[in-house]
Amino acid sequence: MDLSPRTLPDTAASPTPSRRRWAPIVLVALVLVAGGVIVTQFLRSAVDYYCNVDEIGRRDGCEEHRRLRVQGTVDAGSVHTDGARTAFTISFHGATLPVRYDGQPGGIFEECQPVVVHGELVNGTFEGDRVEVKHSNEYVAENADRLDSGDVSAESGTCSPPA
Amino acid sequence: MIGEHVADTLATEPSAASDDVASSGTATRATRLLGAAALVGVAWLAAFGLGFSPADRDQRESVRILYVHVPSAWLAYLAFVVTAVASGLYLFRRSHALGWDRVAGASAEVGVLFMGITLVSGMLWGRLTWGVFWEWDARLTTTAFLFVTYVGYLAVRGLGGSHQQRARRSAVLALLAVLEIPLVHWSVRLWRSLHQEATVLRPDGDVKMDGLMLFTLFVGIVAFTLMYAWLVVHRQRTLAAEDAADDAGLDRALAARRAEVG
Repeated sequence: MDLSPRTLPDTAASPTPSRRRWAPIVLVALVLVAGGVIVTQFLRSAVDYYCNVDEIGRRDGCEEHRRLRVQGTVDAGSVHTDGARTAFTISFHGATLPVRYDGQPGGIFEECQPVVVHGELVNGTFEGDRVEVKHSNEYVAENADRLDSGDVSAESGTCSPPA
Repeated sequence: MIGEHVADTLATEPSAASDDVASSGTATRATRLLGAAALVGVAWLAAFGLGFSPADRDQRESVRILYVHVPSAWLAYLAFVVTAVASGLYLFRRSHALGWDRVAGASAEVGVLFMGITLVSGMLWGRLTWGVFWEWDARLTTTAFLFVTYVGYLAVRGLGGSHQQRARRSAVLALLAVLEIPLVHWSVRLWRSLHQEATVLRPDGDVKMDGLMLFTLFVGIVAFTLMYAWLVVHRQRTLAAEDAADDAGLDRALAARRAEVG
């Protein structure tokens, strides 16, 4: 390798920087924008209080006429589908809340599943516009469950296994 | 320039740098073995993930997505930690060896790939289980932010300047960015979150997962780790070749200039 000192560049005749790479600069700018969008979306969503059913009316922020996220378990036998609307009740620690939702919840929605409903509490009924099924961090094989699900329902007392 | 190759232990042959880059590939006997092991691991994962492991009681067949989702998330964490360690070795050792910088860059690229796989597979699983592709929940948001941070890291590496400038800038960024990982990991405990808490990496060690599912997850981790190592070694070597080609171009330009002046 040539280690002799480099001669000074001829500044008068030096060409303009041969390559200014614009793609990475644009990418850095896009990344900053994307980071900002992510943070603002998170903060906007965090504005909706995340309440358990039994905290409604008790915990600060979990009251009527403001957007909430309510977590509870769908009660057995409470799901009624009427065309495009779905009505059901959710419970958490003994408290129960009726929910109405315009549409059919997706995912693994069914009785006895814990859900999070986004919406607003109006005259004692939760008007939901988004239903998400929560999944616990427990994983059980499909055919090994007969005893397990019986145990779970005996514990909670409110939810018998779906027929 | 002299010290540059000293710590460049992973490069195929340091002397190949400016001589015959084109003629030497990036594979060696060791990497071929590693690649074969990774292939076997992926086949093993496919057999267990798609065949032998049972469906879940609630999620049914969609639980199989987790055998890709969880290993890729862990490997992305590992990749970003390796990037941070290599960046520290570059920055705080007096030799400022560019070999460590290239390891950092290669690991971050593979980490971004795995993080992308984590996000896409997680969204598919979320649609099937939660009913929605996306929710601005703590775990999802912090993961998306981590992904974007490392895309930014790769962009900063491409900003130009000398190799040492690139290495210095990106090393500082990597040491800051890695601090996001604990936030992502514990986000499910810090905030009320739709995403479930950890099943395996939990403090009390009480893993509530079917045995065969857990084993399949373990197979996934092994397969993805082998794949990660294979990708990083190769990428690190192509980066070394790229740098060498840049240097060779610079040397040629200097020689031409000298001939012109002389």
